[in-house]
This record gives sequence, structure tokens and C-alpha cells, in this order.
Amino acid sequence: MVKIEHLSKKYNDNIVLEDINLEIHKGDVVGIIGPSGTGKSTLLRCVNRLETPESGAVWLGEKKIEIAHKNVKELRYLRQNTGMVFQRFHLFEKKTALENVMEGLLVVKKLKKEEAREIAQRELEKVGMAPWANHYPKHLSGGQQQRVALARALAMKPELLLLDEPTSALDPELVGEVLDVIKKVAEEGYTMLLVSHEMNFVRHVANRVIFLDKGHIVEDGAPAEVFEHPKNERTREFFRKMHMMNQPEYII
Amino acid sequence: MGKLFDFELVFTSIPELLQKLPITLELALLAMVLGLLLGLLMAIIKMKNIRVLTQIVNFLISLIRGTPVIVQLYIAFFGIPMFFKYLNQQFGSSFAVADIPGFVYAVVALGLNQSAFCAETIRSALQSVDEGQIEAAHALGMSFFQTLRRVILPEAFEVALPTLGNSLISMIKSTSLAFTCAVVEITAQGKIIGGRSYRYFEVYVSLAIIYWVITIIIEQGIRLIEKKIRLPEQVELVTAGKEGK
Repeated sequence: MVKIEHLSKKYNDNIVLEDINLEIHKGDVVGIIGPSGTGKSTLLRCVNRLETPESGAVWLGEKKIEIAHKNVKELRYLRQNTGMVFQRFHLFEKKTALENVMEGLLVVKKLKKEEAREIAQRELEKVGMAPWANHYPKHLSGGQQQRVALARALAMKPELLLLDEPTSALDPELVGEVLDVIKKVAEEGYTMLLVSHEMNFVRHVANRVIFLDKGHIVEDGAPAEVFEHPKNERTREFFRKMHMMNQPEYII
Repeated sequence: MGKLFDFELVFTSIPELLQKLPITLELALLAMVLGLLLGLLMAIIKMKNIRVLTQIVNFLISLIRGTPVIVQLYIAFFGIPMFFKYLNQQFGSSFAVADIPGFVYAVVALGLNQSAFCAETIRSALQSVDEGQIEAAHALGMSFFQTLRRVILPEAFEVALPTLGNSLISMIKSTSLAFTCAVVEITAQGKIIGGRSYRYFEVYVSLAIIYWVITIIIEQGIRLIEKKIRLPEQVELVTAGKEGK
């Protein structure tokens, strides 16, 4: 089980997250949705401390990690046991796809080269990128890069996988291949926090949806419940706008 | 009256000058390595903006860039022994100052000089690496130094290489001033040869040829390394047959 406790973050006077508490069961896929600038990405980035919050703690199983204070050993533990997939992939430019996936295994987990290569190869196969193992990021399309990035995160066997808008930087044509892989990973039983604007996808892949507004969780429940019967006025308005955008401009 | 210009001597004095070439190269390489290491350290201090240390680094860089190399060499050669003598007097210690060869002072002075210029080159190269890759490395659990070594430096190296190559070339030429520290490298050797026959001019021409050739070799070497570390334009797909290997 993963728990986020009393997470608060502000930039100067601007409060981004206020006392967020979240309990995530093992194997849960939690979709985080909400308007822009409500702290969805910040929430993910605080969980593995790429951003430093004012207060908060993360429980990974039985281990509690204070994330507001710097403690090198705890920080290392936290980051080793959480995986992150970024909006803009952020693959290591000077390494091949295979080397990208091997990097964490070699440097952080200190595995032997053959062992790391084997695991990396397997992860690349899982995301369908094995034939491109010897390619550098600049040779790959956005969708392919994101699949490699996913393999890189998965190779570390994280207890919690953080996905920060994994398809927002992709051409519409390439979104599908990445979503397919994420769906496959979700079915394998990884615990995931997924920030996404692909509402349909969130609805299908997540078994719990959270609506974040102005730094607060205003809706929390099963996808069908949140999408069909939102309790909060702000959530209803958000969906209304989304639906309006989905409608054709003219009806003759 | 002899000839105005002894064409033959230009070439016949080259072998004798080359006897001291190892000293020139050793001096340049050691000073370059020192400059690179110190430069990297200074670059990291400036990048991480560590208090007090950043100010000290800024002061050093300003001082070194604002004074000629030859003056720095003199200061090292005369200043460092004076400092040690002062220590000896003050604390009754017995550093054998006189035993330190001039070569060491030359390496220290040239290395320090180089570090100021390398620091800026290295810092801008380090900062050219995309922040996202650094975040990705941190997210994997890599420490600052692991990230530096495995992710930042390989990419920054390619950016810095042409400029560092130029630095090495200017370093080779700066070693010609090492006579100020009583080091006999090729230029000093040239002066000695010239003194024997009073044919200084011919020897200077030979020296010019030698320096020029060294520079050309370095230029080509850098170009070769650049070519070698550049990522390939195209890579073949791994076919099922090859995968097993």
C-alpha cells in the first residue's frame, strides 16, 4: 500500500497543493484529472521529491519517508522504489534504447552487466521496442521514445509508477501505441498514479479517479461514478466544457 | 661574411630541438589535466552556487584572466618558494623548497591559468545538457555525482570538445614561456642553440615549424575524436537473428 500524507506545496504565496491525503492500494491505477494549473503534475513531482513540498510524507508499504526534509538515504530509497514517466520522455540522449533501460539497473541497483542487459531486453520486448534496442533517442519517434521511457521506469520494478501526462507531447497518431502499452502495464498489477488529459483512457484504465481543483481533492471514486455522477459543482462544470468541445461546431 | 639566412640550419637544428619535445608535451599535458580538473571543480561550484566558494572562484577567475601568463609564471616561480620559506621561518618546519624543480612551478602556473578558462567552457557545456535528463536520472535514484558522470559529462564533453581543443593548442604555445621557471623545453633549447652560432633567426623559424606541426596534429586528433563520439545518423533494426547474440 502507498500512502500520501499531509502533502502541501506552495510557490511563494501561491498555494498549489493543500494538505493532500491519499491512500492507494496495491495494484490500483489512480487517474488524476482536473483543470490546468491545479497541481496535478506538482503532486506527482512532490511524491518522488523532484519538487520539495512544505510538508508531507509518503508511505511505501511499512516505510515512511518524510519528503519535506532532505535525507539523502531516505530520498534514495524513495526514488529507487518509485518510477517516473515524463511528458517529454527525457531519455538519455547519448545512450541507446537498451542502455537507457540498463542505466538504473547498473548504476543504482548495481546489477552485473549481463543481468541488467537481460532485464532491459525483456522490458523492451514488453513495450514492443526490442527491434530498436540499438537506436539512439534521436532515431525514434515520440511514441517510441515514450515506450522506451516506460521500459526504463519498469525495469526498476517500482512499487509506485508515476505517469505525468505521458501522451500530451505526442502526435495524435502516436498516442494510441503508448496508451496500449500503459494499459498492458496496468493489467500486470503495477500501482500507478496517472495524470492525463485523455479522459476516455483514464476512464478505461483507471479503477479510481481523483479530480483535483485548486490544490484540493474534490472528487474521489470509481471512474463510472466520477464521470457519470460527479458530486461537485466544479467537476460538473469541467465535464460540461469537455463535452461541449467534443460536440460538432454545427448541426444541420 | 656568411650567408644572410642559413636555409639548411633551419632543418638541421630541428632534431636537436626535438630532443626537448617530450618536456614541452609533458608540461602541456600535465598542466592541461590540472586545468581541466580544477576547471571542472570551479564549474560545479559555480553551477551549484555554493556560498563563499562561488565568490572565491569568481575572484580567482577574474584575477587569472586579468593578468598575463608570463607574470603568473614569475609569481609562481618566485612566490611559492617565498611562501614556503615564510612557513619554515614561522613554524620551524623544513620544507626543502630548493629541491622543487622549476617544472613543477610551470605546471602549477600554467594549470591554474588554464583552469580559469576551462571553468567557463565547462560550465556552459554542463548547463547545455537538458534539465529533463537530469531529472530522469534523479528519478531513477541516481546521485548528483552519478548523474554527472553517467549523463551530464558524456553529453557536455561533446559540446566542450572544440573549445577545449583550442585551449590545448594555446596551452602548447604557452609552454614556450616556461623558461621563466628555468625549464628547458624546445623554445629554451632553441635559444641555447641560437646562442652557440648566433643564428637565432634560423632556430626561431625551426621552432615555428615544430609548433605549427604539433598544432596541426592536435587539430586532426580533435576532429577524429569528434567524429568518433558523434552519434550515428542511422542505425539498423535489430533483426530476430541478431537478437540472440
